[in-house]
Amino acid sequence: MGKPGALLIGNLTHTKKEWQAISDIAGLYEYADGSREDFLAKCRNGEFKNLHTLYRSNDSNKITGNFNEELLDALPKSLKYVCHNGAGYDNIDIPACTKRGISVSSTPIAVDDATADIAVFLMLGALRNVTQSFQAVRQGNWRGNFQLGHDPKKKVLGILGMGGIGSAVATRAKAFGMKVQYHNRRQLPAEKEDGAKYVSFEELLKTSDVLSLNLTLNASTRHIIGKPEFEKMKDGVIVINTGRGPLIDEAALVDALKSRKVWTAGLDVFEEEPNIHPGLLEDENTVLLPHIGTATFETQRDMELLVLDNLKSSINDGKLITQVPEQKRDTAAVRASL
Amino acid sequence: MARPKALLLGLIEHAHESWNALSSIAELVTPQARNRAEFIEECRSGRLNGVVAIYRTFDSLEITGRFDEELVKVLPASVKFVCHNGAGYDQVDVPVCSGRGIKVSNTPNAVNDCTADVNMFLILGALRRFNPPMNTLRNGKWRGNPLPPLGHDPEGKTLGIVGMGGIGKNLKKKAEAFSMKIIYHNRNKLSEDLAGGANYVGFEELLRTSDVISLNLPLNTHTRHKISTRELEMMKPGVVLVNTARGAIIDEAALVQALDSGHVASVGLDVYEEEPKVHPGLINNPNVILLPHMGTWTSETQKAMEECNILNVKTALETGALRNMVPEQVGL
Repeated sequence: MGKPGALLIGNLTHTKKEWQAISDIAGLYEYADGSREDFLAKCRNGEFKNLHTLYRSNDSNKITGNFNEELLDALPKSLKYVCHNGAGYDNIDIPACTKRGISVSSTPIAVDDATADIAVFLMLGALRNVTQSFQAVRQGNWRGNFQLGHDPKKKVLGILGMGGIGSAVATRAKAFGMKVQYHNRRQLPAEKEDGAKYVSFEELLKTSDVLSLNLTLNASTRHIIGKPEFEKMKDGVIVINTGRGPLIDEAALVDALKSRKVWTAGLDVFEEEPNIHPGLLEDENTVLLPHIGTATFETQRDMELLVLDNLKSSINDGKLITQVPEQKRDTAAVRASL
Repeated sequence: MARPKALLLGLIEHAHESWNALSSIAELVTPQARNRAEFIEECRSGRLNGVVAIYRTFDSLEITGRFDEELVKVLPASVKFVCHNGAGYDQVDVPVCSGRGIKVSNTPNAVNDCTADVNMFLILGALRRFNPPMNTLRNGKWRGNPLPPLGHDPEGKTLGIVGMGGIGKNLKKKAEAFSMKIIYHNRNKLSEDLAGGANYVGFEELLRTSDVISLNLPLNTHTRHKISTRELEMMKPGVVLVNTARGAIIDEAALVQALDSGHVASVGLDVYEEEPKVHPGLINNPNVILLPHMGTWTSETQKAMEECNILNVKTALETGALRNMVPEQVGL
């Protein structure tokens, strides 16, 4: 039997050499570009013989479409590992993978700093209401219709989903003199809290001056922030989203901005990227970036390397380094039931 | 004996109560003049005789122009204190004031957090190259085509702070939360305690070895155009430069050249050589991040600055000693 197959879907920008080096332990396949139909056809035609592990990304999703039941069924039965480049993996049907004995990894940790940095940039920009100023200067109007902003100092930052990224945001926010509180499904151990206060979801909404969304998108968190949640928030709250667009009901956010219930919003993600609700674009009280949370040389390289490390580990050790938490729990549940 | 007068040049926007409360110890006056010529005339007319303390704002420059030799000479003989609302007091000629026995104060500390916040915001914006995608998004083009260049992470980069005083030290703490390495240059090396672990280096070494350079020093005759062609050439290719201090510290035309050549990858600016005019080379450069001198413009900080300046006036009138006297006048 030959070497196991490793498939690269999409492109590598920073680690082409490292990918080529994997030919020592695996037969390399590449699907750099194409379409979902073409990819499915190639899978079904037995193009990727002996396929054991593959590299995909949030970027390559536009080539293949979501990793749902249809696509998973088309992939060779020999495939055991999907190594995903991205901290968010809502475009992979994890239960469907688990059912088929396919283990999935993502890229936590490598994304934490860069995503937290953009969250803080958006938060400072929203606190200082900068969009009006950016536009005024460029148009030769100096300060334009200037309004005073707010200091982060002594304000309460509420983090919804304090995982790796949320913790990194908390560390930075504390340096700006903010008080940090958070809500997770379960309270963290004290060492991981680093002084942040655990509160209920309700309390987080009611008492935060700035709300930062840092949780994963899945079926139960879609529109976790909608009209009823905005109504519970403080008047003049600032909302920051660097998680996933569909966490927020975008139309409800537009309404809340119009009424100034939400004073300003800082967003890197949108419900239907790359389309943005026109109400957000028309509003100068928003600071908007086009989903570039991890768009740095250093972080992109680190993320690619982490996926390749998962890939190598799946070949050499029969396990992943950063397997998605849902599957780790499933494994424990399965073991417990045996 | 008549009560002393306190002259308000410019506006109080937040701390009305505290200002009005001064009427228990002083007669509060405002000028009738609306421009420099009228102000000089008003001083000569004797209308402002008896003014002991002057509260002035940055924007009151529009009424009086700079507190230079011509103006300070005609101030009433009773004037003993000029209390400037702001950390940067380059609008006031301190040696000329000293010559007349007039003490000058500013409002340090009150500005530190706010200015450092904008400073860190500009560092992130410039390093991460946020300006182009921010614009393409607003123009309906999402990330743009071709895609914008990737930015850089602050983590592990060297931040060189030129003038690590109150604002610079405040910036250091914030930049360290982003895992930046801090080096600094001051006229005099700080004690280990005050430096908080930052490495002291010579000015040229700072220019040569910093990935990001932040200007946090005051503007005066020694620091004008401290960053010009020669200094820009010494910097690392791809350097990011941020200025929240005073525009005239940088030779703006030289900066535009260095940006156009690509030697300086990006800048973040809150201040400009000839505010509110901004060099067209900056306006036309999509890679830079520009703000209109709003370093201290939050409700909280503006109020705190006014309260600080009012207290400077109050203490001077009550005790004859001036709080927050500018460092040049220590010993006056």
